[in-house]
Amino acid sequence: MSVPAAWLPTALALRLGSIALALAFAGRPRVSRWSALAGSCLASLVTGMLAVHVLATGQTIQGELLRHQASGFSLGFAVDRLSAWFLIVLELLAAAIAVYSVAYLGHGTLHRRSPFVSIGFSLLVGTVEMVFVADGVIAFLFAWELMALVNAALVTTEHERRETRRAAFLYLAMSHVATGCLIAGFLLVARAASSLSFAHVLAGNVLAPGPGRTAAFLLFFAGFGVKAGMIPLHVWLPEAHPAAPTSISALMSGVVIKTGVYGLFRTCAFGLGPPPLSWGVLILLCGGASAILGVLYALVQHDLKRLLAYHSIENIGIILLGLGAGMMALSAGRAELAAVGIAASLFHVLNHALFKGLLFLSAGGVVSATGTRQIENMGGLARRMPWTALFFLVGAAAISGLPLLNGFVSEWLLFQGFLFGFHLNSEALVRFLFPVAAALLALTSALAAACFVKAFGITFLALPRAEGAENAHESPALMLVPQGILAGMCVLLGLAPGWTLRILQGVAGSLPGIHPAPEMVRAWYAIAPGPGHFDHLAPPLVAVAVVVGVALAAALSLLAGYAVRRAPTWGCGGELTARTEYTATAFSKPLMMIFRAVYRPTRNVEMVGEAHFPREVRYRAEIEPTFERYLYGPLTRGVLALAERMKVIQAGSLHAYLAYVIVLVLSLVLLLWWRG
Amino acid sequence: MKLLAFGILQAAAMLALAPLLRGAMKKMKAAFQSRQGPPLLQGYYDLAKLLRKETVRSDVSCWVFVAGPRVYFATAVAATALVPVALAGAPLEDAGGILMLVGLLALGRFALAAAALDTGSPFGGMGSSREMTVAALAEPALMLGLFTVALWGGSLDLGDLVRATVQRGLSAHPSDLLAAAALFIVLIAEAGRVPVDNPATHLELTMIHEAMVLEYSGVDLALIEWASALKELLFMTVLVNLFMPLGLAQVMHVPLVVVAVFLYLAKVFLLSVGVTVVEVTNAKLRLFRVPELMAASLGLGFLALAIRFL
Repeated sequence: MSVPAAWLPTALALRLGSIALALAFAGRPRVSRWSALAGSCLASLVTGMLAVHVLATGQTIQGELLRHQASGFSLGFAVDRLSAWFLIVLELLAAAIAVYSVAYLGHGTLHRRSPFVSIGFSLLVGTVEMVFVADGVIAFLFAWELMALVNAALVTTEHERRETRRAAFLYLAMSHVATGCLIAGFLLVARAASSLSFAHVLAGNVLAPGPGRTAAFLLFFAGFGVKAGMIPLHVWLPEAHPAAPTSISALMSGVVIKTGVYGLFRTCAFGLGPPPLSWGVLILLCGGASAILGVLYALVQHDLKRLLAYHSIENIGIILLGLGAGMMALSAGRAELAAVGIAASLFHVLNHALFKGLLFLSAGGVVSATGTRQIENMGGLARRMPWTALFFLVGAAAISGLPLLNGFVSEWLLFQGFLFGFHLNSEALVRFLFPVAAALLALTSALAAACFVKAFGITFLALPRAEGAENAHESPALMLVPQGILAGMCVLLGLAPGWTLRILQGVAGSLPGIHPAPEMVRAWYAIAPGPGHFDHLAPPLVAVAVVVGVALAAALSLLAGYAVRRAPTWGCGGELTARTEYTATAFSKPLMMIFRAVYRPTRNVEMVGEAHFPREVRYRAEIEPTFERYLYGPLTRGVLALAERMKVIQAGSLHAYLAYVIVLVLSLVLLLWWRG
Repeated sequence: MKLLAFGILQAAAMLALAPLLRGAMKKMKAAFQSRQGPPLLQGYYDLAKLLRKETVRSDVSCWVFVAGPRVYFATAVAATALVPVALAGAPLEDAGGILMLVGLLALGRFALAAAALDTGSPFGGMGSSREMTVAALAEPALMLGLFTVALWGGSLDLGDLVRATVQRGLSAHPSDLLAAAALFIVLIAEAGRVPVDNPATHLELTMIHEAMVLEYSGVDLALIEWASALKELLFMTVLVNLFMPLGLAQVMHVPLVVVAVFLYLAKVFLLSVGVTVVEVTNAKLRLFRVPELMAASLGLGFLALAIRFL
């Protein structure tokens, strides 16, 4: 075993050791928390080093965690560039969250449960690592299932609340449907390959094009799509993500949903042989639907964590748009264009982890400072929590795809993936679908900007709207430093995209059929979609121009004398209070009216008192949960009705059960005899 | 060094020209309505007055309120360096093309819209909400129109694109006409002109941009006004140079550049006449009718795309 290959078992031992220590001190939450989180942070750094090593050298690191000599069974790992990329994304965020959690989990009611959450967090990070490095079907599914269970347990942290329990149940149910699909898919390919190792199963030459291969694709697509939170398989996500403690929400939104993306890369896109055009189209359409519907649903959310959860659906959509574009280009024989889409998709995986992690961490600080998740009860926090406000603003601008930050770079790259060398596309469908998808992406990021102006403005600006916001205090330094680091990385990746893209060239180039053009990286600060002059991006130059503009504005202010007077805001003759401020509901109302075909809002105004002189007006507005009502409603009812019927054979009689077993055994024997 | 001088010169020229354009459009509008209207140079007088005035800021506002106008101004100034004006090339064209230009303007809008929520006044929130709504609807139409032109030209880089069209000459292809119409509608929305918004109104039912900047005064307001005028000029410049690139100087040769500058001014003036005609012959649309206009623009974009590439 080479030296780097020992790092992963070392990290695992470190993680498990610290968890054991944390369990031993479970009675003393502080010690327990420190132990589990410090262990997790260290283990993340060690695994991160392994990933850096793989990305730097390009060689795959393999090893075994466990081997049973007699049966020949082993749990092995293999870290290739794709795994390493996802590992880096995971470890960057996990290390930051671990530091944040030390302080965050110590406050209020969470303190008592902090050993549980800390240990669960560490386990979750460990299982996600295993998912990314598993080298075979068994190891993968084992880690996958463990991850789902740990995650569901963490969602139930605040189990006194009914909706939390419901969210966890929904999560478990959908996770298991997903795992079922995956097991079926893996059985299909493993049987054809007569092996369980990914090296054979996902080599791409196992299934010949035909119904079998399409079935495997659809099973993997559904299974990983659920985990990724792709529309229409997303319904668990907006329930489960906000229900968990913020540290866990950040990890779930930032990385855990990316395990679905990782799976799609491994299987659907590059594990089943060259994808036909229709697969790419399907992923592109689902990605487009997720992006636009995710952001539209996010717009009308006023629960800060729920809003962020819906944005995760949007960003998964953007990631899938890149993957779909790459697959379509690949099937149209455009290897260099495919590389752009794939690189954009992978770049956005990292970017989304950074800014969504950052936003969740800031939101966690806000929620624990104000005691509410409703942004309508916040306001005025920029004065009370200046650092949190600044970091949230950076995250908000980054997720809105604004230039000089990292979100812009990956969206820019995705635009290139749609448009670069466009006229060379042979398929008319590609030629029409790509610019339309690009316009859709433009709409998505513009709507995201509207949503985050609302989220930032209503939460942090103007007057506090409730007592909780009035008395809020800044988060402790231990919570702010990780946010600062994540915000700094958002800026750094936005200004110097060349470094990241150079790594991504290697990652994308390691995938079958993808050949990134070396001209994509012009310098550490300048990137392009490929050779020639199609387009290029050098954010630092623009940043200099913006700084010059700011300097000019400052010079004008100084030149003008710059006398500033503070005065109360004009309240149109009345008193300006928190009640007269613009609300989040009002802010998103125009867009809600415009997209009412999507929301199908119902509005209910009730007057209390005499007809013309009401004492009170009650106003209720709701949007229709379309997917929940029309897709999952009938599905749930169908499953329940079926279960009701099945009850007949499951009457609780031991004799009947024994009879079933005998019948089953006999029929299996008969079957074997008949076939043999 | 030469590039730096070029960039600064171009930014300064655009900054100097922008208030004049607004003044000219006001004057034309007044002429259409048989009024005398404010003097042609009123834009400069207004800026000079605002710069001399005391700046009043709300006592509930924080640094976001101060940063908003500055970022808005700075992004508009930086955007001038990405656009070919009289020369067939932009000073910073190596730093980004169409996407960077649209992104920079979106950054400025984001900053200003966030800042508008900072005073606690309901007007700010209303303006901010409406501005972001209209912008969100205009964005896909803008992108689709630009992409159609850009893909035909084979580049998303404005400099390259303009050079390609200069070489090819004026085109009356139906796709170009449709794309130009689509982008004209977007220009009206982005510049806040009737029928989308009315720059002359202060009625709360109809204000969009004006509501957003209602709480600003003094230097802050001067920066916003100037940047808005600059943004409008930038959009017009992009439009005329994409569809009527004739006369752009391809080399730094003084007589050529002088001719190019005059031609550029004439083209922008013609376009501003068009905008003014639309403004005086239309009534402002209700806010909820604006999406139909944007959908029309998007539809034109789709048609333009389909004609070229299907």
